Amino acid sequence: MKVSKLKTSLVLISLVVVFFGFIIIIHSLKPERAVPETKSLNVLNWTSYIPDDVISDFEKESGIKVNYSTYSSNEELLAKISSAAPGTYDVIFPSDYMVELMIYRDMLEPLDSSRLSNFENINKKFLNQPYDSKNEFSLPFLLATSVLAYDSTKVERISSYRDLLDKNLRNNIILLDDQRIVIGAFLNAEGYSANDTDDAHLEKAYDFYQELKPNIKAFDSDSPKTFFITGEVDVGLVWNAEAILAQGENKNIKISYPAEGFTLSMDNYTIVKGAKNPDGAYEFINYLLRDDICARIVEEYPYISTNKNIESLPEPELDEILSRGTYIENVGTDIKKFDKLWARIK
Amino acid sequence: MRKNHKLPFSSLSERGRKSPRKSPSVYKNHKLLIARSSEHDEKSPNPVRAKSGFDGFKLFVTLPVIIYSLLLIFLPLVYVFFLSFQTSDNYGGYDFKLTLKNYLEAFDPSFLKIFFVSIVIGLLTTFICLLISYPFAIFLRDKPEKTRSLIIKLVMVPFLTNSLIRTYGWITLLRKNGVINSGLLSLGIINSPLNLMYNNLGVIIGMVYTLLPFMILPVVSAVSKVDENLLDAAEDLGASKLEKFFRIYLPLTLPGAFNGSLMVFIPAIGYFFIADILGGGKAMIIGNLVKNQFLIARNWPLGAALSILLLVMTFGLVKLYQKVGGDLDELGG
Repeated sequence: MKVSKLKTSLVLISLVVVFFGFIIIIHSLKPERAVPETKSLNVLNWTSYIPDDVISDFEKESGIKVNYSTYSSNEELLAKISSAAPGTYDVIFPSDYMVELMIYRDMLEPLDSSRLSNFENINKKFLNQPYDSKNEFSLPFLLATSVLAYDSTKVERISSYRDLLDKNLRNNIILLDDQRIVIGAFLNAEGYSANDTDDAHLEKAYDFYQELKPNIKAFDSDSPKTFFITGEVDVGLVWNAEAILAQGENKNIKISYPAEGFTLSMDNYTIVKGAKNPDGAYEFINYLLRDDICARIVEEYPYISTNKNIESLPEPELDEILSRGTYIENVGTDIKKFDKLWARIK
Repeated sequence: MRKNHKLPFSSLSERGRKSPRKSPSVYKNHKLLIARSSEHDEKSPNPVRAKSGFDGFKLFVTLPVIIYSLLLIFLPLVYVFFLSFQTSDNYGGYDFKLTLKNYLEAFDPSFLKIFFVSIVIGLLTTFICLLISYPFAIFLRDKPEKTRSLIIKLVMVPFLTNSLIRTYGWITLLRKNGVINSGLLSLGIINSPLNLMYNNLGVIIGMVYTLLPFMILPVVSAVSKVDENLLDAAEDLGASKLEKFFRIYLPLTLPGAFNGSLMVFIPAIGYFFIADILGGGKAMIIGNLVKNQFLIARNWPLGAALSILLLVMTFGLVKLYQKVGGDLDELGG
């Protein structure tokens, strides 16, 4: 450590020069088209979404090794894709608004549904949504909704976001760790759309949060059910499947769709631009579209399947959810407002 | 000697300014240093070693470390510094436009609040670690060498397990129906479960647990070096235990304590995973703030600016440590 100052500064200067030279070289190099890798597939998916044995069965059937990694919010997914070198990931599962944003940012490979023999299994109701009106880049996989769950033996019936403000619920609520869903719920609570970007309305949403704050125990998207199962909280705004799973452990847990509105998240099969193994990606998606696989997935993680041959939810109930819930929309650069507000909340 | 003994980066700005004022003897010293480039110990009084100059073997064995630090520590740091002056494109990339905006944004009131809370958590963690380490060190001082080394080894044992897993382990202890709460409830000590985690308390518990060894080791080493004669003299003159501590142990071990405090305080404001797991995703420290800029808000330049501020703060503390009379080599550097 004890080197002369003159020498250190010389070393430092030369290093800085070398480093900037290095940056310039990197910037001037065009990313090389990598050799196709047909024996491995890089999948980036939500946590608690596809059972491990479904993945390992695919590996056995196809002989393709799946490198599976996870994320817990769309924002995290976007950050991972933007910072990774092209070709790092093959298949990802962005939600509606993130699909739109990724199409806009040219991050997705067009998806040719004619290459998927199981395409017919998809319920037409879920196709041609505004975020990808002709399903050129994405196909619907699972529908997640945000719901209120509560332990009916511990607390009064919870049917609206306003009910969460009850003083008796101090330190007793879990919220998803997802900015659009949670801020969307606060906006709903104040009577605005979850996609509202008006500054005054967002400020109102923040006021609602301030009032709710003493009741919030934690934010968690990965496994909010655990909080119910261990008795940590009695009330929560969680994914539908998480609530159903918690119900499986504790019969007293009830689910309600908040009166002020709630958000729908359609998660989609997409292939990342520059994917190294597009053929494997199609094979994987086609596998996931199979009836028996869809059934196994929703059995383990009871989201709403887009497979028309599976009764994951009675038709009328599904229609009611679809009509009352709102999809989260891409808000363009206004997403910064949500980022900012989320930083203030957390 | 200590004056020449600075961190290479922190004194960059002073370099040009100070050198003309230096006496010839200092210059001589400099030449000497250049001549024995790889020589590590300038305190060595042996002039023959200085003449032998370039030590090829030493350079050879230290080369991997030098390359490692350059490639994986220094270069990324330069990149972060460079990034902190760029403009974010809102999508995780940056536009090549120089700006100071990120630094202004870093001083946003909502961020300042997190800085403040984080520093308070860091200070509390440090203080609690000190409070535990001193009695422990004084207790250990009189033990026979065998017992001492055994106990020190026990302190190190938790390092064998991943700290993330150990932090998850705390959930089982701290949660509402966890070991501590159900134990206290069944003993009738409390009537309703305590909120031990998903708040700042949980974060502090986790930090103290994870960082305690970094405080214990330097404090134990400093306390064991205190001259026995001083303690005997104090006792003969009728000093109470408290007086002995405040007038002998504390002043003599201050550099060691400050060393430990640095090694506890700095990670305590940065270990975001502890805040994530035991704070329930809402108690935020500076580490979370930086992480969120990279992972959630996709604002790398702002994240970079925040990291640089954190670094400046750290350097400030290291400077302070040197002022108190600490030796950089003891920081484990």
